[in-house]
Formats: sequence, structure tokens, C-alpha cells
Amino acid sequence: MSDDNLFDDGVIERIADELREAERPSADFDARVMASVRGIARARRRERHGLWNRVTQPRTITVRPWRAGLAAAALLLCATLVGWGAHAFARMEAAAPATLASSGSQRIQFVLVAPNAKKVAVAGDFNGWDAQHPAYQAVHRGGGVWSVTARVPVGHHRYSFVVDDSLWVADPTAPRVIDDDFGTTNSAIVVEPEIR
Amino acid sequence: MTRRSRALVGALALAVPLALSAQATAANTLNSRLDPTTRVAVQAIVDSARRAKLPTAPLVDKALEGAAKHSDGPNIVAAVRQLAVELGQSKRVLGGGASTAELQAAATAMHAGVPSRDIAVLRSAAGPHRRVTLPLAVMTDLIGRNVPVATASQVVVGLARGGAHDSDLTMFERNVRLDIERGADPSAAAQTRARGVMLRGTQRPGTRPPGNQ
Repeated sequence: MSDDNLFDDGVIERIADELREAERPSADFDARVMASVRGIARARRRERHGLWNRVTQPRTITVRPWRAGLAAAALLLCATLVGWGAHAFARMEAAAPATLASSGSQRIQFVLVAPNAKKVAVAGDFNGWDAQHPAYQAVHRGGGVWSVTARVPVGHHRYSFVVDDSLWVADPTAPRVIDDDFGTTNSAIVVEPEIR
Repeated sequence: MTRRSRALVGALALAVPLALSAQATAANTLNSRLDPTTRVAVQAIVDSARRAKLPTAPLVDKALEGAAKHSDGPNIVAAVRQLAVELGQSKRVLGGGASTAELQAAATAMHAGVPSRDIAVLRSAAGPHRRVTLPLAVMTDLIGRNVPVATASQVVVGLARGGAHDSDLTMFERNVRLDIERGADPSAAAQTRARGVMLRGTQRPGTRPPGNQ
């Protein structure tokens, strides 16, 4: 083919006609374009709000000095309180076992037949072995029968009746504890959690 | 200050006096019942038990019991120290998952002369999900009523292995006590009543018959 043929008017005209003709997009062109646009928007949103990006991307945080001071003080106070709390709990556990032995308790009736007694109380590890505890003072019901109903925490407990503030008497109707450390036998009670 | 900040500060302000008050109350309890020398010795044992992750409440109870019964200081300290040792042995036998009540019951049983080996056997016989507090209390009670240690241990382990419920054990303990009070031989009473529980157990659905484990 010679150069003259390349620039033949007819050829040029045909090329020009092709170029002048309007581009006809395929039927799904609009949908594909819009999908691409939405995809870009989603990607940007992920980039901006994604948890990992939030955590890892550097950002500038503005803090007011008084608020930072307050937060630091609160943190210090919390740490101190946790320490105090643990210590206090441990001490409370040691010194007030009856109230911390368990979260639950049950009402237990203690009965002693002591016709000659003038006073009967119950002392045990659920009341700090305090024979003067007001909630554990038995009442004379007549005929030498003394009784008191009181709350006892869930757990294994040792106790005794104290007659006339001086005589320690094991509960004759309860299991015994071989417990001669202090010269008297105690009774045992196992209080189970209440089934609701 | 935001509402949330005010609430936080308020809660902290309330918590501080409560924590301090509880601490003071706890410290006062031992102070008021024991003389200073005894208190210091008991507190040292309690602190040591706490570091060993043993329950400390039974130790303080023991000291308070001694004080209530007008025992002398050295006797109180010796009793508390002995209990700490028994609680440690109980924990080794029953494991870290044992409740305070179980540890206390096991320590009491050991104090009564039950060997730790027998407590381990009971633990195993009862199964992993059953508390052994009541079986141990019954075992201790039998020993307290002059049932020989070996017999008491064997009977209660047998009942636990046979699937006896706590209610069965309570009834068993009561019947043995009444038999002994009426003049029965303690050992014979325990063995006979245990046989009765096991016979009733075999007639109840879901209970393992004796000798079938």
C-alpha cells in the first residue's frame, strides 16, 4: 500500500465518520458505574471508622489539663480503694466470720431442755462465740424447754448452749464435734443453701 | 463536670469511709477479746494462713471460742495453730475447689482422729459433684459417740459410695445417736443403721446399690 492510498479521501472520511458517531454504552453501564462509586465510598468509610483503623491510625487527642488531672486522681483513688478493699475484706473475713461465711442463711431453731436454768443462750462461730448476742438468747417456753430461732449462715458451724452464763452444754440433739481444745464438747450444724 | 463524673466521685466518696470503717471494725473484734500477746500471735497465724490461701475465718473463730471459754493465751494460740495445720492438710486432700465448710469439716474430722487417707477415700467415693461437708460431720459425730475411727470411716464412706443423700445421713446419724442413748454398742449401732440405709437405697431409683461401683 502506498502513502497516497493511506490518505485517500474516502478512507479519511470513513474514519472521521466513525469518530463522529456517538459512543453507545452497554445496557448495564450505569449500574456498573454506580456500583463502583458505592464501593469506593464504602472503602473510605471503613478506612475512617473501622475498629482496627481507629486503634492503629495515629490521631491527635486534645485533653483539657483539669480533666486529665481528675482522671489521674480517680485512677489513683480506685487503685488505693482496691488495695484497701482487699485488705479490709480479708480482715473482715477474719474477724466477722458469721456475716461473711456465706451469702445465704437459714432460720434455725435451737432447743434445750434445762429445767433448772435461769438463762440459756447459743454461742457459736456464727455469732463470734458471743453468749450475750441478743439474737441468740433462748426464751423459756415452759416446762424447762428453752428455745431460740435465729439466722445461721450457710456452711459448717460449731456451737454450744451456754447455761446461766457459765456452763457450756453441747446440743444433745445435734452431731457432736470432738473438740477438746478448750475443755468442752461442741455441737455441729451444717446449714445448706435454701432451695427455692 | 459531667453527670457521670459526678456520680463516680460520689461513689468513691461513699466507698472510702465504708472501707475504712469495715477495716476498723474487723481489727477491733480480735483486739477486744484477746490480750495483746495472744492477739499478735493469732494474727500472725491468720496472716500466714491467708498467704497460703487457707480460709482464715475458722482460725479467728477458734480464737474467739477460746476467749469465750476463758482459756489462757498459750492454749488459744496452740489450738489456732493446730487448726491451721489441719486446714492445710484438708486443702491438700480435698483440693483447691473445696468450700470453706468442707475444709472446716475435714479439719474437724482430722482433729477427731480420721486419717487424711480416709478423707481422700470419702472424697473419691462421694463423686466429683457432691459436697462432703455433711458426711464428714457425721463421721466426726460417730467418733464422738465412741464408734471406732476405722468403723466410722468405713461406714460413712460406704454410705457415700452407695449414693446416700444428705437427708439419709442426717436420719442415720439421728438413729445411731438414739440407739447409743438407749444403750446399744456404738459400733454395732452404726453398722446396723448403715445397712438399713443401704437397703432402703437399693429400692430408690437412681441410687447405686452397695458393692456395685
